[in-house]
Formats: sequence, C-alpha cells, structure tokens
Amino acid sequence: MKKIAGHLAWGIVSLVGAGCLGAIAVDRGEPVNSMWLVLAAVCVYLIGFRFYAKFVAANVMMLNDKRATPAERLRNGHDFEPTNKWILFGHHFAAIAGPGPLVGPTLAAQFGYLPGTLWIIIGAVLGGAVQDFVILFASMRRDGKTLGQMAKEEIGKVGGFTALVTVLLIMIILLAVVALVVVNALKGSPWGTFTIAATMPIAVLMGLYLRYWRPGKVLECSVLGFVLVVFSIFAGEWVAHSPTWAPWFTYGGLGLAIAVIVYGFLASTLPVWLLLAPRDYLSTFVKLGVVLMLGVGILFVRPDLQLPAFTRFVDGTGPIFAGKIFPFCFITIACGAISGFHSLISSGTTPKMIAREWHAWPIGYGSMLLESFVAIMAMIAACARQPGVFFAVNSPAGVVGLTADAAAATITGWGFAVTPQQMTDLARQVGEETLWHRTGGAPSLALGMAHIFTQIGGSEAVLRFWYHFAIMFEALFILTVIDAGTRVGRFMLQDVLGHVWAPMGRISWMPGVIISSLAIVCAWGYFLVQGVLDPLGGINSLWPLFGIANQLLAAIALCVATTILLKMHGPRYMWVTLLPLVWLTIVTYTAAWQKMFSELPRVGFLAQARQLEAALEAGKIAAAKVGETNTLIFNARLDAAVCGIFLVLVTAILVDSVRLWIGILNGSRERTVREAPFVATQLRAEEL
Amino acid sequence: MAALRTFGRMVLALLRELSDESAYERHLRAHGRVHSGEEWRRFCEERLRAKYARAKCC
Repeated sequence: MKKIAGHLAWGIVSLVGAGCLGAIAVDRGEPVNSMWLVLAAVCVYLIGFRFYAKFVAANVMMLNDKRATPAERLRNGHDFEPTNKWILFGHHFAAIAGPGPLVGPTLAAQFGYLPGTLWIIIGAVLGGAVQDFVILFASMRRDGKTLGQMAKEEIGKVGGFTALVTVLLIMIILLAVVALVVVNALKGSPWGTFTIAATMPIAVLMGLYLRYWRPGKVLECSVLGFVLVVFSIFAGEWVAHSPTWAPWFTYGGLGLAIAVIVYGFLASTLPVWLLLAPRDYLSTFVKLGVVLMLGVGILFVRPDLQLPAFTRFVDGTGPIFAGKIFPFCFITIACGAISGFHSLISSGTTPKMIAREWHAWPIGYGSMLLESFVAIMAMIAACARQPGVFFAVNSPAGVVGLTADAAAATITGWGFAVTPQQMTDLARQVGEETLWHRTGGAPSLALGMAHIFTQIGGSEAVLRFWYHFAIMFEALFILTVIDAGTRVGRFMLQDVLGHVWAPMGRISWMPGVIISSLAIVCAWGYFLVQGVLDPLGGINSLWPLFGIANQLLAAIALCVATTILLKMHGPRYMWVTLLPLVWLTIVTYTAAWQKMFSELPRVGFLAQARQLEAALEAGKIAAAKVGETNTLIFNARLDAAVCGIFLVLVTAILVDSVRLWIGILNGSRERTVREAPFVATQLRAEEL
Repeated sequence: MAALRTFGRMVLALLRELSDESAYERHLRAHGRVHSGEEWRRFCEERLRAKYARAKCC
C-alpha cells in the first residue's frame, strides 16, 4: 500500500512538473505568473534528486554508510570533524552561493525568461549538481584531497599544473567582473556608497569587539553588526539629501574602481581578524537571510513575469551583452546551472566534515539544486518589472544613447515601451539621481527585489529602503568575494614565487605580502578599470570572459570526475559526467572562438580592435580620444589573448584526459582506483 | 511543537557552525583547554589562516 502511495505521489509530481514546464514553454501573449516557474523547477529538482541522483549515488558511486569517512578516520577537532547532515548542508550551501546565481540570470533575461530558466533547471539537474556531487564523493574517498591534487594524481602532472594556473587566472577575471558590478551599482549614488563605506568601520569594530571585548561571541557580534548596517541604510538617505555630505560620497566609475582596488589591497594585507573575517560572518548571515526572504516574498507576492518568453535579442543583438542565445545564454548563467568554482568547495572543507557517505547525496547534489533555485528567484525578480525599465537600467549608453530621450526612443523602438518621465519617477521613488545605464545587473535585481518586498506591504519609503537594502546585500557579499579572493590569489602567487626566491613564499614576510598583494590587485584592477572605461559598459566583454573561464574550470572538474568513473567501472557509467563535459566543451569552445574571432565588433575582441584601428587610421577619432582609443585596442587584444590562454590550458587537460581514457579502454594504461582503503565506521548514530 | 523546537535547534546549530563558534568548542575539547581571550585569539589565527587560504565561490 505504501509503495503504491509512493508511486502515486511521484506520478503526481511528474505530471505537475511536466504541466508547468509545458505551460511556460508554450504560453505566449499574456504575462506568465512566476508560480509556474517555481513549480516547474521544484518538481524537476525533486525528480532529479529522488531518481537520477539516487541512481548515481547507489550504482555509480556505490556509497556505503558502513565505510568510515575521512571526518571519522582523520578526526582532529579542526578540519576533520563528523558533522550533522543538515548543518553541513547549510554550511556547504553558504559556501557555494555567491553573486553568480543572482547576477547571471538577471543579465541573461535579455533573451527572455524561458531560455535562462530551462538552462538553470536542466543544467543543474544533469550537469552542475552531478559535478558537485561526484567531486565531493571523489574527494571524500581520497581523504579530502583538493581538485588540483586529484587532477595531478588521476590524470597527470599537466592536469595538476593546469588546474592551478586556471584557478588563478579565473580568479583575476572573477574579481574584476564582480568589482565592476559593485562599481556600476554605486556610481553616482551617495546613499549606496555611504552604506557600503559604513560596512568597513562596522567590520573593524566587530573585529575589535571579537578579539578584545567579547572573544568568541561571533553570533552576538554579528547581530550587533547587522543592526549597525541597517542603521547605516537609514543614515544613507540622510547623507544623500545633505548638501554637505552628499558630495563626499558621490563618485564616478573610476573613483569607485580605485576605492575598491585600495580596499582589496588593504583587506589582503591587514590582519584577517580585523576586516576580512568579521565582514565574512556578517555577509554570510545577511546572504542566507535575504535568500530566504526572497523565497518567501516570491511565494507571497507571486508576481507576473513582464518580460516575454523570448525577446528579439536571441539573434545576438542584445544591448546588455552581444552574442546569440547559443552559446552565450549558457556562458552567462554559470553558477545557477553549472559552476566550476563549486568543484573547489566540493573538494575543500565539506568532504572533511561528512559523517556518512550517503550524506553526500543531499549535501553535494541537493545544495546545488538549492543554488539553482536561487537563480530561478533572481530570474523572477529580474522579469517582474516592465521590460522597458529592465532594458533602460541594464543597457549601456554606448548602445542606447547617452541622453534619456535618446535611450527611451531606442528602447521603445525595440518594442519595450519606456519614457524618461517613468525612469525619473522610479529613480525618485528609490532615492537615486538616475537609473539609466546602471549596467551590471545589481541595480536591476535590487529593483526587482524591492518591488517584491514592497508588495508584501509598504509605501514609497519602504521601496526606497528595500532598494538600498538589496544594493547593500549585493555589494556586501561581492566585496567579501573580492577581499577573500585577493588574499587567496596572493597566497597562490606567493606559493609560486617562493619556488623562485624562498622569502617570497613566507606568508608572514611583509615585503612579500605587499608585493604579491599589489600584483594581484593590479591584475584584477586593470581589468576592472578596463570595464569602467569601456563605452559598452564593460559587462559586454568581461562577463562572457568570466563565464567562459568558470565553465572551463567545470570542464577540468568533469575530466577528473570522468577519469575516476572510468577507473571505477570501465566505460559503463562514464556518460554520467562525460555528457555534461561534452556539452560544456562545445559551449565554451564556441563562445571562446566567437569572442576571439567573430567578425562582429560587439562580439569578437579582435574585430573590435580592427574596427577601432580603422577608425583611428581614417582620422574619425578626435585628437583628445586617440590615447583612450589606443588603450581600448590594446584591451580588446588582451581580452582575446586571455580567452586564448584559457582555451590552451583546458585543451591541454582535455587532450591529456582523452589519451588516458583511450589508454585505459585499450588496456595500455593502468586502471588503478586511488581511494583510501576501506575502514569500517565506528561512529554511532547518536554522535551525529 | 517538538518538531519546531528541533528545527530551531538545528538552525541555531547551523548559525554556530557558520560563525565558527562550534569549531571553537571542538578546538577547546580537542586540546583540553578552557575558554579565554588568549585561547580564542590562538584558535582564530589557525582557523582563519586556513579558511582564507581557500577560494571563495562566485
């Protein structure tokens, strides 16, 4: 009887899922309610989790709860510690959830809500969650080894070195692009800039509080920090209206970029307890709280999606970023569907804390499904406002025109009505000078979130608060990615330089710390300034570069995963990771090729350089702009070169992997599974 | 009501894990030490050094 009820329940889930997917796929004309997306996503996630992931766990990984995990065997009270399944689930989710699943879907909404939504759901169930799950399993069976170590051991030295260099390069591009998102969100906004600036003394205060006044009371200190941050949002409104204070917090793109670069340098060189760690605690709690609030808000408000299923920009002429739906939709949305960066987390802290092997099922696979759901919520928030407003906020002046009248005419001409008055009113409602050309996704997402939160109950004043709360939330945890990333980049660089000159490798040697920190901030700072000065808004060139890099890292992770599955079972279950790998390889190579060699200047970096060069030679560039144009030409070529380096690195690891697979399949190479030996668990259920 | 209490305890435990308070308790237990400002600072040195040597996700 119980079995029949189970089959019936799963039958209903499948029917509801199929019905909702059908509805969002074929419905045209009338705005679609966001609940169709939510239900479609949840049903597909449930089916994927219950059937596909369970199949992979039982048949492919052969998870065994009788086998002691590294958390038990190597338990040391520090890194290795058996942890309750649900606590570790939350911990892992907090670690994988960054700005990517929020910003990517917002940008990809330029194609309409449907392509991005389908990719987020299908990509996560068949690709992203599988990658996270298999890498977590592999690391757990190898005493918590990192992706780089596994690549070196399973594939070869080329794999290990490639993984290290790729991660460093990806981090430089990642830090530049997320910094650009913050800069564009705070440009000309004294309210937002004051609030974010205030988080720094608040973090220092928290650091001192924790170190000297109330050591160990992190939760108490974080509550205090949160109250002060909310107070700074209210104070920000006063600052924005003060003729004395507002100019102190009003900056253009370049000024803000320099401020973020200086912040990155300070965070990398100052003691970690003083600035970085307290900000990170605060950011983690605010992040989880806001994600929860957004979920509740969407369920409560159930907004209609104002953007159509497909827009005219599927043809590649989009104003936010150029390029056709294939491959650029799949590059733009990385973290919500599949993200290479997750493989670093899945082979980091989490495998050292898993108490039972079967816990990897909800933690590895389930956490990624939740992250995918966050991306769905971001897509809903982005599509909940009128399309004209969406494009007005996200389109750079270089595409739609500098003045409000010109931009409104261009966007209305695309079929998305918007008026200068409408944008002026909206800017006034959220307490901003202007909302035109606020590229990067953050302001647009903040508008969507504020719109949803305000509909629960509130007036214009509430809308203003929520908009700036959302900006604070996005900037707070993006800056946490920047400060921690700069520090990690510094360590990696010191590690490499230490082989050349030993003192540089010492992480507490101040000259080494300063030189390597400067090198890292200059590297990502260069790309940031490039993005700020780009007449097309910077996102057009930097976000695809980041997407390509992140997906190529996923390709490396899937190479490692496929190699491990091949060694475990022969070719039988290779397809589990080989299929997403083949898809990612096709997508990323196509995107990288187009970004380098497309004849369209808005798509291809080299074509863009040639176009600018031709304009320069034809004397079409004003004398005052010649220097700037030469810089743009150099930057376009540099971006093409970075893209090429990524391709070469990943090609190296792909070729190495394929040679190994062929060797294993024809019997000329050894098929050794390098797992830690089986040890029976002694852990009692009550210890979990 | 009991389920709600269990859920509340779980949320609190998660927050304590995210805030490193649980890790600190484990550290005290593992080394047989008692809480003090000096001990917390020693724990922080080790914990934060390891924590911020790893990449943060995007």
